[in-house]
Amino acid sequence: MNLRAILAILLCKALRLVSRLLHRGGTAMPGRWALKVCPDLLELLAKDVKSVAITGTNGKTTSSRMIEQAFSEKGLNYFANRSGANLISGITTEFVMNAGLTGRPRKEYAVIECDEAAARKVFSQLKPKVVVVTNLFRDQLDRYGEVTHTLENIRVAMQGAPEAVLCLNADCSLTASLADDLPNKVVYFGIDRGAAPSRPKPEISDATHCIRCKTEYEYDYISYGHLGGFRCPKCGYRRRKADFAVTDITEQRPDGSTVVMDIQGEKRIVNVNLPAMYNIYNAVGAVTAAVEMGLDADTAVKALADFRCGFGRMEQFSLGKGGTRMMLVKNPAGCNQVIEFLENIKEKFILVVCLNDRGADGTDVSWIWDADFEGLTTLGGYLDRVIVSGDRAGDMRVRIKYAGIPDEHISMQRNYEELVRWIGQQDMPVFIMPTYTAMLELRQVVIRHCGGADFWE
Amino acid sequence: MELKICHMYPDVLNLYGDRGNVMCMTKRLQWRGIEASVTKLPIGAEKSLAGFDLVFIGGGQDFEQQVLLEDLHRGKDREIIAAIEDGVTFLTICGGFQMLGSYYETYDGKRCDFIGALDLYTVGSKTRMIGNYKFQCGPDAGGSVVVGFENHSGKTRLGSGVKPLGTVLAGYGNNGEDKTEGVHYKNVFGTYSHGPLLPKNPAFCDFMLKTALARKYGRAELAPLDDKAELFAHDEMCAKL
Repeated sequence: MNLRAILAILLCKALRLVSRLLHRGGTAMPGRWALKVCPDLLELLAKDVKSVAITGTNGKTTSSRMIEQAFSEKGLNYFANRSGANLISGITTEFVMNAGLTGRPRKEYAVIECDEAAARKVFSQLKPKVVVVTNLFRDQLDRYGEVTHTLENIRVAMQGAPEAVLCLNADCSLTASLADDLPNKVVYFGIDRGAAPSRPKPEISDATHCIRCKTEYEYDYISYGHLGGFRCPKCGYRRRKADFAVTDITEQRPDGSTVVMDIQGEKRIVNVNLPAMYNIYNAVGAVTAAVEMGLDADTAVKALADFRCGFGRMEQFSLGKGGTRMMLVKNPAGCNQVIEFLENIKEKFILVVCLNDRGADGTDVSWIWDADFEGLTTLGGYLDRVIVSGDRAGDMRVRIKYAGIPDEHISMQRNYEELVRWIGQQDMPVFIMPTYTAMLELRQVVIRHCGGADFWE
Repeated sequence: MELKICHMYPDVLNLYGDRGNVMCMTKRLQWRGIEASVTKLPIGAEKSLAGFDLVFIGGGQDFEQQVLLEDLHRGKDREIIAAIEDGVTFLTICGGFQMLGSYYETYDGKRCDFIGALDLYTVGSKTRMIGNYKFQCGPDAGGSVVVGFENHSGKTRLGSGVKPLGTVLAGYGNNGEDKTEGVHYKNVFGTYSHGPLLPKNPAFCDFMLKTALARKYGRAELAPLDDKAELFAHDEMCAKL
């Protein structure tokens, strides 16, 4: 380690200590300053750590946690950037905090969630052993731009990590196209035809035309959004066979799913302790990454059954008699999956939708019109009422109204203290759909009322 | 009474919740007992524009632009021009609005020919104009204050043959320089406003629906609706800007 690096490490550790004393998270700020002092600090610290990096639009945090669970059950000595500090600054902070003053790593492994736009900077320094790309959907267009732009970002990022094993979602035509121009070893995961629900083609798809030749795709099946058995009738680009495949979905419950996974030719029954289709993707992606990191499939699969979600991702709180679940939404694809999940609820429930438009949420809230809130009108009468909240509660109320829920079944409550107190008095289950910054704030209030871990823990 | 709405290119021009405009028009007609039918015309559809009272075109990604232009130049361009001159009501947003002009010139000077239905053109710039904004519609476009969200790098300039839809009160508008926003020509309304445009701006929505009803039935009366929710969202954003 050079002097510059040691100075940067000292600074980073000191800043972190101060922010913790002030009861701030201190996840990104210390790393940002450290990188100013020593721009290649992450590279120096990551050199002797075996890392798996997770990027993509949806499912990064959940996939990372699932991989972590497997690492933990295997007894590996690892760390992770758990709190969603997934830009180069936050990742650097995490590496510094898991190294000694001279930069010697204290852990052998790392599970690193990485923002799609930050991957360019991160991967070339991190040099991960395994990279997972979960999927690509339109997301916060004011921040990321078009989805093909994000794809290009990841492509360039991968050029900085040519040794990494690349785990790709076979069902996503955008993600899978990364294999074309990269020298990396590629492993595919996905949901096979037999297991995918026979969903009709959605009205809005983020990838209708072939990424190679711009001809409209044909589909053998669709699992959700643009994911499924795509093929281009003109140039022949098509879904590749998944090495890690979900071949059957035996059961989908309000609290989890049972599926059959074909793991490199061997079939296993797998319990995923987290509901909804998109978490089945997260699960099979996590198994792929864990196995490529050298773990045995048994451990990887068992971890999925033991896994408990956190940090607003289908997170369960004992608030109110029927319990409360918080389901983070960020973009139309994820939002549609959450609405689809609500179809599994067969008792009266309350839905709270909390829409913010701050930087991390995306300042443009028009995406709520790309999400199929119309699905809320076909829940068989189980949806008792909708509460809208957040900075853009007014927009959300209009969206829900035009989806077909009568205005008298929609009410607005922007005061989180009041909202949480009210939820606590309810008899039926409450499902909260917050955007990112709304989740951070609301979760703090919920935790104060019924307990839970601070976000950086 | 019935309005026949055509949603052009919903398969590729669907980027910023723009389909909300079609939902909004449909609901606001139906709530008043006026029938509304929506026909989707994806890329490659052979159906002509004849018989439609209202045409909606949204914004899209650059990725599909080439596919789109090929389809337009196969005859849809002439149909759009004929429908516009015939007084059909058009609502076009962002890319759909630019597309009606004569061309788009990228920042590095590459020119892409559009359909030339309206006297306007767009030149790409280095910076994107992003954010919530508001504008006041001209008196012959209803005069209401519209709130929306813009996200474009193209700077649009209007020729003498067309009027702007409105005057920018906060934000960038057509080019961030001359305070014009959108375009208004006959019954064509073009704007950069996503949001989507209509749900939060019920006065503008109703004004536009009336142009289509007046053309078809010679009169246009719309019963008032309970717009509490819509106006709350509108007024709140208006006050912030």
